[in-house]
Amino acid sequence: MKTKLAILLLIIFLAVLPAFAGKYLLYVTIHILLLSIFSLGFNLLFGYTGLLSFGQAGFYAVGAYGCAKILLVYPSLLAGILGGVTLAGVASLLLGVLCIRHTRIYFSMLTLSFGMMIFSLAWKWRDVTGGDDGLVGIPRAPLEVPGIFKINMAAMESYYYVVLGLSLLAIYLFQRIVRSPLGLTLQGIRDSETRAACVGVSVRKYRLLSFTIAGLYAGLAGALLPPLESTVTPPVAHWSHSAEPVLATLLGGIYTFAGPIVGSALFYLLKDIIVRFTEYWLICLGVIVVVLVMGFRGGVVSIFLKEGSRR
Amino acid sequence: MKERKRISRRAFLKTAAAGIGGMTLGLKGIGASAQDKTPAKAKPARKALGVDVIKLGGQGVISGAHADYGWQIQAGAALAIEEINAKGGVLGSKLELKFMDEELKPAVAVKNARYLATEWGAHLLFGVDSSGSAMAVGPILPELDRLCMFVHASTHRLTEELVAEKGIKQIFRIAAPVYQEGNLAALIFKEFPNIKRWAGIHCDYEYGYSAWALFKDTLKKYRPDVEFVSIAWAPFWTMDFSSHISAVMAANPDAIHATPWAGEGVMLLRQALMLGVFDKIQAWFQCMGGSVDILEGISREVEAGKFKNKLWATARYIHNYPDTPENKKFVESFRKRWNRFPNYSAENAYSTIYVFKAALEKARSLKTADLIKAIEGMKIMTAGGERFFRPEDHQAIYAVPGGRVVIDPKYPIPVLGDLKVFPAQAYYRNPPFEPLKMGK
Amino acid sequence: METLAFQGLIGLSVAMYLWLLASGLTIVFGVLGVLNFAHGSLFMLGAYFAFTFYGLWGVNFWLAIALSLLSVAVVGYLMERFFLRHIYNEDHAYQLLLTFGFILIFDDAVKMVWGGVAKIPAMPSFFEGTVSVVGRPFPVYNLFIIGAGLFVAVLVWLLFEKTWWGKMVRASASDREMAGAIGINIPTLFTGVFAFGAMLAALGGALGTPVRVVAPGIGSAMIIQAFIITVIGGLGNLKGAFVGALIVGTLSAYGILLFPVFELFLIFLIMAVVLMIKPQGLFGGER
Repeated sequence: MKTKLAILLLIIFLAVLPAFAGKYLLYVTIHILLLSIFSLGFNLLFGYTGLLSFGQAGFYAVGAYGCAKILLVYPSLLAGILGGVTLAGVASLLLGVLCIRHTRIYFSMLTLSFGMMIFSLAWKWRDVTGGDDGLVGIPRAPLEVPGIFKINMAAMESYYYVVLGLSLLAIYLFQRIVRSPLGLTLQGIRDSETRAACVGVSVRKYRLLSFTIAGLYAGLAGALLPPLESTVTPPVAHWSHSAEPVLATLLGGIYTFAGPIVGSALFYLLKDIIVRFTEYWLICLGVIVVVLVMGFRGGVVSIFLKEGSRR
Repeated sequence: MKERKRISRRAFLKTAAAGIGGMTLGLKGIGASAQDKTPAKAKPARKALGVDVIKLGGQGVISGAHADYGWQIQAGAALAIEEINAKGGVLGSKLELKFMDEELKPAVAVKNARYLATEWGAHLLFGVDSSGSAMAVGPILPELDRLCMFVHASTHRLTEELVAEKGIKQIFRIAAPVYQEGNLAALIFKEFPNIKRWAGIHCDYEYGYSAWALFKDTLKKYRPDVEFVSIAWAPFWTMDFSSHISAVMAANPDAIHATPWAGEGVMLLRQALMLGVFDKIQAWFQCMGGSVDILEGISREVEAGKFKNKLWATARYIHNYPDTPENKKFVESFRKRWNRFPNYSAENAYSTIYVFKAALEKARSLKTADLIKAIEGMKIMTAGGERFFRPEDHQAIYAVPGGRVVIDPKYPIPVLGDLKVFPAQAYYRNPPFEPLKMGK
Repeated sequence: METLAFQGLIGLSVAMYLWLLASGLTIVFGVLGVLNFAHGSLFMLGAYFAFTFYGLWGVNFWLAIALSLLSVAVVGYLMERFFLRHIYNEDHAYQLLLTFGFILIFDDAVKMVWGGVAKIPAMPSFFEGTVSVVGRPFPVYNLFIIGAGLFVAVLVWLLFEKTWWGKMVRASASDREMAGAIGINIPTLFTGVFAFGAMLAALGGALGTPVRVVAPGIGSAMIIQAFIITVIGGLGNLKGAFVGALIVGTLSAYGILLFPVFELFLIFLIMAVVLMIKPQGLFGGER
């Protein structure tokens, strides 16, 4: 009951944010929500299934470019988002088949390769992706269902509500996933692959499922980007972007539900505030990462939950 | 091993509470005010523009192999602001600068622009080193209702597409664009009948593609006998150009056209020397070789005559041209203040501030629409010469020569000498603009 | 024909340079089981230290290299002894994350100490000449790098195959527990190996100073190539790293000559294919 109250309060807070927040604050919050979705998906793979992917940005990029290409010819927000997410899902399913046969270092390196292959495609395939200039002039298309309603998205506030709504939906779905038998199975596989196999679980099938869901989430986060920024450029696919959900989740707490979300907010806010005062934000972030890994592997959430740390 | 699947209610509450508390504090830290920061009226009626301080938000790249350029932008702008404030500011209001790192990443440049305009309260924006960042920042300017004077980003698309075609009037560019690399070079080398075979070593991104495409297009028009025999592409962060150099040299070119810039440019030239290139070719055009960091980097080699007088270059401003009192004064003040020669980013930023001053004085308003009108069509004398802001594409028209990299006893670092000066109209592209075909 | 031969020789010098970089990475993985993301940062530090000794303080070039190696060995020692050592028993992911944190720290640290602008030292005069190869001038410097790479390969092989220390290292690599049981001081050994790997990285960085940009971030730019090489050759396998470097170096040189649209894509594709078909790399031998 109390948990539900807390969550409700948080949602109300976010819902009324536009009433007292400035434009930049809204912009930052939207970015935090995007990173949260991105990180949640990542953590399904990492925290719950035990697979560390360094290529999630590839699927984020597929979602982003997919949505952008659609919006450039058919300016309907729903079409763009659905299209981007679907493409990302397909990509992660196909690449997942190739990746999930391997684990640990090899899995990480393989995902890194695929992510960077997508990056170099985005950079080189000028005709389709616009090359290093990227796609520009992407409209913040109206949210419409033809014949039923059409809501203009030009104001940041309107788009904020769309992103907030989709984020809450994504978080709710995620909760359902991890509380379901699927979620338990994934954790079982993470804890001991052999034991899970002995019990009759098709390890590969479940890993692939986890990988695809992570890809869908990355794709959703990516698809929500172009209407916000009106441009999509290749760095969204780079491995340094893949590192963001990793860092955010580490910061928040890997083996927790809320970790990626808390971590995303912290990560984004930290960077935003630090760069105002100093150009040396990398070392600040680096020190935080080292401190966390050395002492607080459960992340911030574990500091509040005594038992947050897995080992 | 402990079960980790459920989070206890109490624990979650604690986290949520902490989270909300933290977020509120954090968000408060970010957005101190309830509404957007618009240029507010501080004290009634004292200053002509209605504010005590005019805020200028700038950005450039301040780390990595290209870090000098961001530093130069900041240095040039800071110098201009100091000078202007010392004389009482603009219409009585002082200028204040905030400079941020764009990290050569469009996403960061966009975020900085948003932050500077909506949070920090910048009245005017300037800067941006990379073309990709410029193309990303340009389209959001109408939403921010701020104009931005682009100081380095050289892509022709910024002005040709975003301003002339798409009508984003908030975009202005004070720096000479890629016409320097392409068209000016063609104008210089059309006069060398013995140079027929050209090879290119170029950046493997839009900058390299457009420079090479423009150069080939224009040169071919004047010299149909010219051949382009080889090309090598070098991505960002190429540190070893020996494969590229030896690949193009295999085709026996008479001359080479090259775009890698900043630290990469210095190393490219050094490696070319190591490969004996300057014994074989007749000329090497290092596009932005006139930039101070490159001149400093190769000064020992130039002094020793290693380039055999075959190294040519241009820039978006060179400190020894034009020979006017304005330019001399600028270079002297810059050297006194920063102990270095100004490169083109510095001059462009310095002149930007003075253009802003002129616009503010002319419009007597902080409104973006008024300032746009003031700068459009403006003819203003700057350190780099007289600049004219063409209304069709908001590009500043001014001439920068190309020349050989030589030692001049008057200067401690190499300079461009044997200058080939062409009026800007001769080599700038003019509207209506045809899209540039950039093959590979 | 001469063109191909010449380009191949250039490719060989590129390969040997890459080998210098990859050797330390693969040794550290082979013995400690740690994939050191920050290996590129150690490379970068090697370049910066060499620049300081040689370019700023005018120390003799070779002495500057030696000093740079020592300095980075100290950095490596500190990294391993006080940080890495404490998380050997944790999930591999934490090792990656920790070393990633170090990348961030080092990238800014060099900026704070040396400034963000690229550093350009004077060119040592003994690197300036050329020798004629198939009728074209080939730089003495590139010959030197080929020599240095081969020398290091032989040295490392001798070290691990013929010395007592090398034997202990190999024993610890193949069975840490047993080696500890027979009295090898594993922690000290590991620190030593890590410092050695750091020195190899620094060697690459230091030797590159006269001709390559010294700037923040050059480490991260190189680390991906190092990963690719070690993966292709087999993580932990020295012979594999050598061959992997040869492959990547010469392919890249020929790619630039023959396929000017040579893609980053291709390199990652090769890594992906190797990982999918034979994850242990060309020379097998997963630890």
